[in-house]
Amino acid sequence: MDKALLEIRGLKVGFPTPDGLVRASDTVDLDIYPHETLGLIGETGSGKTVLSMAILRLLQPNTIIKGEIRYRGRDLLSLPEDEMRKVRGREIGVVLQNSGTSLNPVYTVGDQIAEAITLHQGLKRSSAWHRAVELLDAVRIPDPVRMARGYPHQFSGGMQERVLIAMALACNPSFLIADEPTKGLDAVTKREIIDLFREVNRDRSVLFITHDIEAARNLATRVAVIYAGEIIELGNSGVVLSEPAHPYTRGLLESLPERGMRPIPGSAPSLITPPSGCRFSPRCRCAAEDCKSEHPGLVEVGPGHYARCMLYDRG
Amino acid sequence: MTVSRKIILAASLGIILTYCAVAILAPMIAPYDPHAITGAPLSPPDREHPLGTNDLAQDIFSRLIWGTRATLLIGFLGAAIAVVLGTGIGIVSGYYGGMIDEAIMRIIDVAMTIPIFPLLLILTTFFRPGIYVIAVLMGLLGSFQGVRLIRSQVLSLAVADFVTGTKALGARDSYIMGRHILPNVLPLAGVKFVFSAQHFMLIGIGLGFLGIGDPSVVDWGQMINRASQNGAIILGLWWWLIPPGLAVTLISLALAWLGYACEDEINPRLRLLRV
Amino acid sequence: MKGVYIIKRLLTSLAAFCISVTIMFILLRLMPGDYITMYLETIYRYAPPDVVEAFNHVYSFDRPVLEQYLLYLMDAFQGNWGYSLIYKVPVLTVIGEKLVWTMVILVPATALAILAGIGIGAYSGWKRGSKVDIALMNGMIFVRAIPSYWLALMILIIFGYYLNLFPLGGYVDTSALTSGIDPLDVAKHAVLPILTLFLFSVTGTYYLMRNSMLMTAGEDYIITARAKGLDEMTILRKHAMKNAMLPMVTMVTLDCAGMITGSIFVETIFSWPGLGMLTYKALLFRDLPLLQGILLIDTLLIIVANITADLIYPLIDPRVQVGDGV
Repeated sequence: MDKALLEIRGLKVGFPTPDGLVRASDTVDLDIYPHETLGLIGETGSGKTVLSMAILRLLQPNTIIKGEIRYRGRDLLSLPEDEMRKVRGREIGVVLQNSGTSLNPVYTVGDQIAEAITLHQGLKRSSAWHRAVELLDAVRIPDPVRMARGYPHQFSGGMQERVLIAMALACNPSFLIADEPTKGLDAVTKREIIDLFREVNRDRSVLFITHDIEAARNLATRVAVIYAGEIIELGNSGVVLSEPAHPYTRGLLESLPERGMRPIPGSAPSLITPPSGCRFSPRCRCAAEDCKSEHPGLVEVGPGHYARCMLYDRG
Repeated sequence: MTVSRKIILAASLGIILTYCAVAILAPMIAPYDPHAITGAPLSPPDREHPLGTNDLAQDIFSRLIWGTRATLLIGFLGAAIAVVLGTGIGIVSGYYGGMIDEAIMRIIDVAMTIPIFPLLLILTTFFRPGIYVIAVLMGLLGSFQGVRLIRSQVLSLAVADFVTGTKALGARDSYIMGRHILPNVLPLAGVKFVFSAQHFMLIGIGLGFLGIGDPSVVDWGQMINRASQNGAIILGLWWWLIPPGLAVTLISLALAWLGYACEDEINPRLRLLRV
Repeated sequence: MKGVYIIKRLLTSLAAFCISVTIMFILLRLMPGDYITMYLETIYRYAPPDVVEAFNHVYSFDRPVLEQYLLYLMDAFQGNWGYSLIYKVPVLTVIGEKLVWTMVILVPATALAILAGIGIGAYSGWKRGSKVDIALMNGMIFVRAIPSYWLALMILIIFGYYLNLFPLGGYVDTSALTSGIDPLDVAKHAVLPILTLFLFSVTGTYYLMRNSMLMTAGEDYIITARAKGLDEMTILRKHAMKNAMLPMVTMVTLDCAGMITGSIFVETIFSWPGLGMLTYKALLFRDLPLLQGILLIDTLLIIVANITADLIYPLIDPRVQVGDGV
């Protein structure tokens, strides 16, 4: 196995709020290897986006971040800001959530893509523009020459998503983070975006954040399931998404329409005062006495397959 | 609320309350009757007259104290009228929507193109009204702005789930507007009240400064006007010129601080990153 | 599409103007006593009846009210706004002259206020909560709370009297009587009024811009810009500013229109012979035609400002077309 491209060790992210400290990430360890797509699955509020923002240090200035995030051996969390800026966009690209509001409404789409190119690759405006048009073509936007001069509000949701992808790929980064790229899209467009990512993911490592299990199944080699700021299952996507070890993952799959659409009872726990012991225990069908008092560790339950559950962590 | 915010709030409320107290207790605090002639005109401050006397030998200190009444009255009365009217119309317009809303907004649109200050000037010149009338006029003319503000908030409230739910229970419109919409709109109206009060006080004093306004009432604006007209600048009659101005500025500041502090609390603009 | 909208706009503006004229007309009718009493208070008692009759005829008081109203309306549209009592010349003429002088101080002050307000407000909003922001915000609140007449007086006293840097008022020295108007002299006189006007309006622009920037700074596309690797200053300059300035355009154009009457205090204190000073004089002498004229000019200016704002906005915001009900 090659050395990991991205190593996250002991990541803790907390937001101080008037009501207390929100522990959005609580001791996360994760590795992402070259040319793999890691799917990160979780509900809203589980801490998925926080993870991606933490990698690029795009969180609010008063956020508390502890731990290490090593990219190609360098700890990103300890880099000076101007070094970090060189990493953003060039070495690590990100496709942010909410394509509609993530594009600046007063600049053309071409300008916004070209901006990333001029910044990191120092090309002149005209060459950058050409490259932008090429990128629009690569993400399968029809008539890219004309569309490059268009404004974001003139694009449909799916096309805006593609523009964001083009922008993220502008400098050909070796690591891409995609945050819920299929959210809010209709079934047809979803499939198109997933197809696009199949191509895009071939040449790089991708952290694919989603709550869409289909997308994860189609694109990810491995998946990590996140719940209440913790990774609770990690493994090969084929295995995890068909024979999940953790009750939560099982619940997620069962809540899919084709599997019976049985929702998981209860709601997402508070990140300020998470439940004691196993964080999923309040909602877990198999919860036993020790689940409420013991906090399970992430243990191996199969080859390369890990789960954080008392079922596997008892003595 | 942060500590500094609390200090500002306390300080501004303290100042405002002090002014109110002075206004109410004026007859007891002021050493002289504000219109009475007491000693030599244009005399500098001394033991008898802490702030000296003006051209009519009236005690400036007493006039300053009595002037608080006019100022506070114009400000608070005018603001009250403006906010009550503005909120009322805003709620009706925003809640009912449709034709009523269109009609009201058209009227407001046209009304807002009429310059309020010149109109006020002309009205007060020709009717020489007392300060109550001035306050009412300002309140009326100043209510238009508030309507827009309140209405936009009501628009989003009117389609909120809890309103639809209450309607489904069969509640009357007036009940919904009074019981559910009004409380939600009160914070905004409250802030508007504070700022309007400040605004109207400044205009009211301004009118006095221009020589319009109620001559029977002691008015800081008039004091400043008379002072500068009697050569206070050249003659260095600082005790006449400066105190009224400071008095206005202080209450204006207090109200502004109060308004901004409250506004910041109501509209948190810090956007928390979605987790 | 655009044409229909423009016509609708013009019609609304026409309505607004008519309503202002109507209000003036009603005010005349409601005047305690009648028109003549207002005009010729003292002479009335002594005026022989045929003079009174001639007067009534000239001012059309001997016709039915409705006819008077229509004549009044027509006059208003033709620019026939009557004669000033003080100056004995057509109202429009005297307003025109004085308006120019108001512009001399108003335009530089407003231009500077807009530039400064936008720049400082943007920076303040971007760095919300920082020491600079808090200091600026408190400073601006302080200045804005000071009534404009008080501010003007203080500036006059401090700079004009005590420091003796600038003249105490007027727009020219008496030397102009012999050697004509010297632009430099006018400029020297204009400094303090411009300073006062500037201080007063910069607070408004600052506040609006800061608010606008606060909202813009929290938008998603700012995070996108950071994710691309841009530095903070570039993001502020390129991405944030343009978006934050959009709502400013409407605000600023409307503000400009209201400035005319706002200058009444400043002009009175500095004895600057502009529209504000004219208004003051008209009030003092109860020159009704002049006052009507000033009201109408103001209404016109607000209407023009509104239409300008409506037409400019679509040019700078690519999302908006003319007639989108902005």
